Amino acid sequence: MDLAIYNSRRRRNVVATAASYGATGVGLAGLAMILIVLFWEGFSGLSLAVFTEMTPPPGSAGGLLNAIVGSILMTVIAIAIGTPIGMLAGTYLAEYGRHDKVSSVVRFINDILLSAPSIVVGLFIYEVMVVPMGHFSGIAGAVALSVIVIPVVVRTTEDMLMLVPNTLREAAASIGLPRSLMIRHIAYRAARSGIITGILLAVARISGETAPLLFTALNNQFYSHNLNAPMSSLPVVIFQFALSPYEDWQKLAWTGALIITISVLALSIIARALTGTRKAS
Amino acid sequence: MVDVTWGGARVGAQDATERAKALNKLRLGDVIFHAVTRSAALLVLLLLGGVMVALFLGSLPALTTFGFDFVTTQSWNPVTEKFGALAPIYGTLITSFIAMLIAVPFGLLIAMFLTELCPMWLRRPIGIAIELLAGIPSIIYGIWGLFVLAPFLQQYVQPALIATFGNVPVLSSLFAGPPYGIGVLTASLILAIMVLPFVTSISRDVFDAVPPVLKEAAYGLGCSTWEVMRYVVLPYTRVGVIGGVMLGLGRALGETMAVTFVIGNAHKISSSLLAPGTTISATIANEFTEAVGDLYTSSLIALGLILFVITFIVLAIARYMLLRIEKRVG
Amino acid sequence: MSIATALPTAVTGHPPVDPSSLRDKVAIRNLEFFYGQSKALKGITLPLYENKVTAFIGPSGCGKSTLLRVLNRMYDLYPNQHAEGQVQFDGINIVEPGLDLNLLRARIGMVFQKPTPFPMSIYENIAFGIRLYEKLSKRDLDQRVEQSLRRAALWDEVKDKLNANGLSLSGGQQQRLCIARTVAVRPEVILFDEPCSALDPISTAKIEELIFELKEDYTIVIVTHNMQQAARVSDYTAFMYLGELVEFGPTDKIFTSPTDRRTQDYITGRFG
Repeated sequence: MDLAIYNSRRRRNVVATAASYGATGVGLAGLAMILIVLFWEGFSGLSLAVFTEMTPPPGSAGGLLNAIVGSILMTVIAIAIGTPIGMLAGTYLAEYGRHDKVSSVVRFINDILLSAPSIVVGLFIYEVMVVPMGHFSGIAGAVALSVIVIPVVVRTTEDMLMLVPNTLREAAASIGLPRSLMIRHIAYRAARSGIITGILLAVARISGETAPLLFTALNNQFYSHNLNAPMSSLPVVIFQFALSPYEDWQKLAWTGALIITISVLALSIIARALTGTRKAS
Repeated sequence: MVDVTWGGARVGAQDATERAKALNKLRLGDVIFHAVTRSAALLVLLLLGGVMVALFLGSLPALTTFGFDFVTTQSWNPVTEKFGALAPIYGTLITSFIAMLIAVPFGLLIAMFLTELCPMWLRRPIGIAIELLAGIPSIIYGIWGLFVLAPFLQQYVQPALIATFGNVPVLSSLFAGPPYGIGVLTASLILAIMVLPFVTSISRDVFDAVPPVLKEAAYGLGCSTWEVMRYVVLPYTRVGVIGGVMLGLGRALGETMAVTFVIGNAHKISSSLLAPGTTISATIANEFTEAVGDLYTSSLIALGLILFVITFIVLAIARYMLLRIEKRVG
Repeated sequence: MSIATALPTAVTGHPPVDPSSLRDKVAIRNLEFFYGQSKALKGITLPLYENKVTAFIGPSGCGKSTLLRVLNRMYDLYPNQHAEGQVQFDGINIVEPGLDLNLLRARIGMVFQKPTPFPMSIYENIAFGIRLYEKLSKRDLDQRVEQSLRRAALWDEVKDKLNANGLSLSGGQQQRLCIARTVAVRPEVILFDEPCSALDPISTAKIEELIFELKEDYTIVIVTHNMQQAARVSDYTAFMYLGELVEFGPTDKIFTSPTDRRTQDYITGRFG
């Protein structure tokens, strides 16, 4: 055995192995840095006022109430619009059209929409809602968010329904159960936790979306739950405050960022717990 | 064993017609449900079509005014209403390119760690940590980049880069200029961190799908871990990895908030990576609400159209490649 | 003519012993079945007698499950499969298009190889099918559920936990739950597709006993790869090989003095 070759092979392996350990370390360190700074800066600004007072003009104290309420409102509406459409489309792909041409095309397009730039979605809704309506509005923002929700729910619904074994469908057919009832009572029930996970993931996804709201819902300095008027939201407020030169605004931006991150992490953990219990059963 | 009189084991005549009636009523529900789900599926197609049509119509004024020059002009002047997309397009492409240059090797190395080197009990936690990175909204990256990364780069890294490459012939222009902290390089770094989880997850998934017998055969010959990766795993998973990389690229191209915070927003193409620049999405995000005049707005929408077309192509290629890998495995 | 107007024939009391009064519940004539372009069943002709147990036996891939699944048009769920020929059930050829499949499946039920309780409580598993066709008061529904569970010899084991999830039962219990679910809809024919192959010997014995009792009220067809089971449980046996019906006759005769060489070889274990 040629020792020189063996040694050079060994060296290469050591280098590569060290590199992969190093890469992982750097990746984890990066994550830690981001989270640590976020919690540090965000926590120092956290107080009850954040949740009870409106966004202030620069130089005075205030909170994020209108932004939080706006975000929640638009998120709820986006989910209310996007989930039924997404679930029905996903149901078609998994149950009725598993093998036909139309489904392949829909699946392909859906996957592209899934990763499409969200700012483009904002432009789209601007053109079809804001311009005809003549003004920015919370409802336009909610619709823009729902366009992001739909592909996520389509994908997860289809994936979860595909996991339901065919024998269960046959068992339902064998007692004469019509297709739609089989889907609604048997398949949905069997895939229930997976579908809910998908919805939670969609919520997490749109919680942090800023770009689609920039020119649909715009922003609102005051508290408002009028969907037909510009509406404030956490991400847009963070955008505005962080890029400003005012220190108290910047502080609120960090706190807002912390609130969003905690919500997203909580949703992800709940979603993961749901899939975990499903696997266990 | 069982002596219950089964009253009505036979379905009598009346019951049979009742049954038929009950099923007939349900049949209408069946047809409606089928139609509704089908419409929902077609709505997805309509959405894409709608986006393309809306963008196209919105950008028509700009496209007809500037023609092809729109894509080749660098100057972006709202006052004289002369708009050129070259700087944003260049910025989008260069930041994404550099981001992938960093993220792909990192992602592959981390995936290699997770599949070959990591102790079993640590795999799930680290995997979850990587997914957490993916879940953090981009605006968080933006704000962290602006307040933490940019000052750090400005104080330590950028001066070092300028000093090191100051005298090297070609590279000096690449790393020239005052250390702003923000700029193309910073934006690329943030993008790299954002794209990293995608590349890592997809690579890890395709690495895991390699049949163990293949790897065992190589280990059995005495191959080292690196050699198994290089000569067995990577060739086998090549298509899937490329698909994952393309997916990450699609994300990087369209990323808005993280980049907007740290790119500096200058409609200029500089040779130095340390200079400020702009990307398509950053331009739109920063200027849309302030845009006065139809031509200005239309130019921004035209930018959006260009971005959409670029990402569509990249994502379509990515999906196609991942489909090929699924066909082979499943 | 819809299948609803072709009324089922009524039977009084115990089935007659006299073989000449054997009635065809289902008559299969020249049935051919295709997976895409390839023919899986070739010219099958055989009768399924009322209130008797008929077994389909044969080596793997001979088409016995395929034949069984034609009888309740289960293949309709899949795009590339179709059948030609005749399967006469109450004066109608059920292979022809335009048939109300849900109604057919209410009259010809199926129990599968793998127990598949619905993801609901034990009570709901049974009630679900009943509610599909009938509007019953809570008391009547309770009674029907109890009747079905007794019929499947499961009542005593689950009567105190009717609200427990169906999936919490053991394998043998789940299969009996599926049988209870099938009889709750009051079919006339019950098809069993290798019902015991996923179960332990004791559950298998219980189900075989059940089949023996069920034939008093139902026509039973059972597919099995276990020859001893076929010999124990069935009155008539059909031996299939490579998509063809090789031999059909009373079980005693098939197992003691088969006519065809291939049947002889299979029975004695020369192949399959």
